[in-house]
Amino acid sequence: MSHATIRLPDHQIELLSAGYRRELAQRRRMALVGFVILMLAVLLSGFVAEVRPGVLFENIGKFTSYFGRIFYLDTGALVFTDIGEWFWGFWKWGKQLIDTLLIAYLGTLFGAIFAFLICFSAAINLTPQAGIRFAARRYLEFCRTVPEIVFALIFVVAFGLGPVPGVLAIMIHTIGALGKLFAEVVENIDMKPVEGIVASGGTRWQSIRYGVLPQVLPNFASYALLRFEINVRGASVMGFVGAGGIGQDLIEAIRKFYYSDVSAILLMIIATVMVIDIATERLRHRLITMEQGR
Amino acid sequence: MIPPRDLFPDRAAVSARHPAIMAGSRRAQIIGWALVALLVALTVLSLSRLEFSFARLGSGLVQLGTFLGLMIPPSPGAQLATFSKALAETVAIAFLGTLLAAILSFPIGFLAARNVMTNRVVQFMTRRFSDSIRGVDTLIWALIWINVVGLGPFAGVLAIMTSDIGSFSKLYSEAIESVDRKPSEGVISTGGSSLHAVRFGIIPAVLPVLISQTLYYFESNTRSATIIGIVGAGGIGLHLAEMIRTFEWDRVAFIILMVLATVALIDFVSSRLRLALVGQRTTPV
Amino acid sequence: MLELHSVTRRFGANRAVDNVSLAIEPGSFVGVIGRSGAGKSTLLRMINRLLDPTEGSIRWNGRDVTQLKGAELRAWRMRCAMVFQQFNIVGRLDVLTNVLMGRLNHMSEPRSLLKMWRAEDKAIAISALDQFDMTALAGQRAESLSGGQQQRVAICRALVQEPDIILADEPIASLDPRNTRLVMDALLRLNRHFGITIVCNLHDLDIAKDYCGRLVGMAQGRVVFDGAPDSLTEAAARELYGLEADEAMTMIPASQPITGLQHAAAAA
Ligand SMILES: Nc1ncnc2c1ncn2[C@@H]1O[C@H](COP(=O)(O)OP(=O)(O)O)[C@@H](O)[C@H]1O
Ligand SMILES: [Mg+2]
Repeated sequence: MSHATIRLPDHQIELLSAGYRRELAQRRRMALVGFVILMLAVLLSGFVAEVRPGVLFENIGKFTSYFGRIFYLDTGALVFTDIGEWFWGFWKWGKQLIDTLLIAYLGTLFGAIFAFLICFSAAINLTPQAGIRFAARRYLEFCRTVPEIVFALIFVVAFGLGPVPGVLAIMIHTIGALGKLFAEVVENIDMKPVEGIVASGGTRWQSIRYGVLPQVLPNFASYALLRFEINVRGASVMGFVGAGGIGQDLIEAIRKFYYSDVSAILLMIIATVMVIDIATERLRHRLITMEQGR
Repeated sequence: MIPPRDLFPDRAAVSARHPAIMAGSRRAQIIGWALVALLVALTVLSLSRLEFSFARLGSGLVQLGTFLGLMIPPSPGAQLATFSKALAETVAIAFLGTLLAAILSFPIGFLAARNVMTNRVVQFMTRRFSDSIRGVDTLIWALIWINVVGLGPFAGVLAIMTSDIGSFSKLYSEAIESVDRKPSEGVISTGGSSLHAVRFGIIPAVLPVLISQTLYYFESNTRSATIIGIVGAGGIGLHLAEMIRTFEWDRVAFIILMVLATVALIDFVSSRLRLALVGQRTTPV
Repeated sequence: MLELHSVTRRFGANRAVDNVSLAIEPGSFVGVIGRSGAGKSTLLRMINRLLDPTEGSIRWNGRDVTQLKGAELRAWRMRCAMVFQQFNIVGRLDVLTNVLMGRLNHMSEPRSLLKMWRAEDKAIAISALDQFDMTALAGQRAESLSGGQQQRVAICRALVQEPDIILADEPIASLDPRNTRLVMDALLRLNRHFGITIVCNLHDLDIAKDYCGRLVGMAQGRVVFDGAPDSLTEAAARELYGLEADEAMTMIPASQPITGLQHAAAAA
């Protein structure tokens, strides 16, 4: 058999592959160092977080049996055999789910409105004054970094139990999350139309309304829809701290071992989140194609 | 001086000739106002159903004002050591949870990627599986894991891990699907198997993206890890909830500041690492 | 009367406009010429106050406009409309709304933000479009128009401001020869018909000589020539354009009457 490829003399191959090996060895050394650092971090944090794999392996059966158990009714029958008994609280939970959706809706709406009002002050192309921009950005960062459930805990004390603190908590977190995204969108616009309106004597808000908004509105709407979906999930646990929605009944069911209720409520939450997910995805898709189509 | 002049002497006649333009697009106007009316109606309805009232908002804001006053100056009291330890625990929980989730999601991501998993049923089931996991909040997972391994940070690690498996599987599979097909075609064309194509055609291309996305989540997981303590799954959240319930506002403020500083630090570290490993800023949206 | 007194604008150490003094008569058509980077755009943008001068003052009928703020500043911007090289209209809005942008300063802010145009403003916008035979395009998205049409929309926007001055920054640099003529003719008509002062940055010396009653030549931020087009000698042009001079002066299309250059040649 003859080869078309010319085989280099052995010493030349040796030379070339030595270079290749050297480079490889260097990369390997770097990877090794990285790996050792990673392992040290794992060990350290495993110690701090009291990771006990033994406990997990001993009790992993509990996890699966937990999932087994939540699909059995008190009578010992499988939940699917008596849907009426399984979802005995369907209307009650349904109402709480609607409340949950409304909490998410109001939190997203008001959060988006405030994020809209603030985002222009955080964008360098519309706010050259460093002081204002710094303040706006730090404020958004604060709203974003403190988890919404922490705000909910504080607001429950201030505003009393119920959905009101839940809405306010989600709103504050949404201001931070959307404000940052909005500001990034604004920083990427074409400034020429804005300049044209400013040069005609337009005010700041007039140039935002007509120069910026047409460019950013589809993106803003898309991000707000995405946020709504996230907020529905967030609102589902607001009840854990007494801030309204389905979470109240869920934590009670989990804590008091009402097994079949846990699965029923979880399924209702998952189904709702999925429907919202698909619906917002569709809407976002429509927004994007509409934008490109025109 | 320029004499006063009328630039548009025949505007009445011209506008009379173009009644359609003068009227504007009725349809767009009606749709716009209908949309606004719908949103407003829904908002008013929600506000009344969720029992919002000015009185309640007003008195709540006054309360909040007093709390804010009591928060200054922030102080840990005699619990600085406790808080610091809990915060370290929080970071450890986030780190381990993210790492475990990343390792477990790596194969799942391939199973859920349309261009790798040609078996539609498996691909679809994997997608739905990760969607279901994502539908359940981290706090709920924490409660469930507490039933298995008992109260404490280990349950927190597992909770973060579980809820991140949902997110990572989706993100990873999307990254894998958007990878350039030419390298794997090249591997196939030299006679490689489809596993070879994955190993040499896809993994080198997606690995930096996956790492970058994972690092990005490390920061947001630190935030999640601060709250799972509220239900007893370890970390600073337990103390935070405790201090809020007992109205120790200066400590609440101190803990929040500690959390803010830590998250900022981790954000800094993870973006430096991203930069070093990937060479550029890629932020998943 | 528009007067510039020792106006200077620095960007860092770079003097984009350097100690420029000018007086511009009402009703005149002034061309500002010079090679790219000479400071022409900076000069115009300072007059409209899109940029602030580092030193010096700009006066309109004796009033210093460099100190204006808020509503007074916007009123001044309305008086000296700008036309840009890249048109600077809003591509995603329709043509009529783009023209109405020139009326923003004539109406209350809440009203304008809600898009509640008065019939009067709409009538003015439509008749501005009518003057350029563009009423048929009123409902179209501006970005779907050709460059020449977009520039004429921008000129309509300037016109409905009812300005005393129009500052045009290379209005034809992005256009083909036919649209170049259309746009320059439009500016000339506003100048002749309504006595609107035109200050127009131009790259193209021949167009400048055809349309302008007075040329201001700039080089490295300074005014190096100021006079009638006829008096621009070849030597002066050479100073203005440096090595590009030959290019700038031989770009004369054969079909056009070469009035200015002939005079210059005769004078030389
Ligand atoms: N925003 C700016 N920042 C820094 N330098 C600028 C800026 N705008 C213009 N310049 C500089 O000022 C000089 C004049 O620019 P310009 O007025 O645009 O010239 P022209 O319009 O005649 O081409 C150039 O050297 C340019 O680089
Ligand atoms: Mg220029």
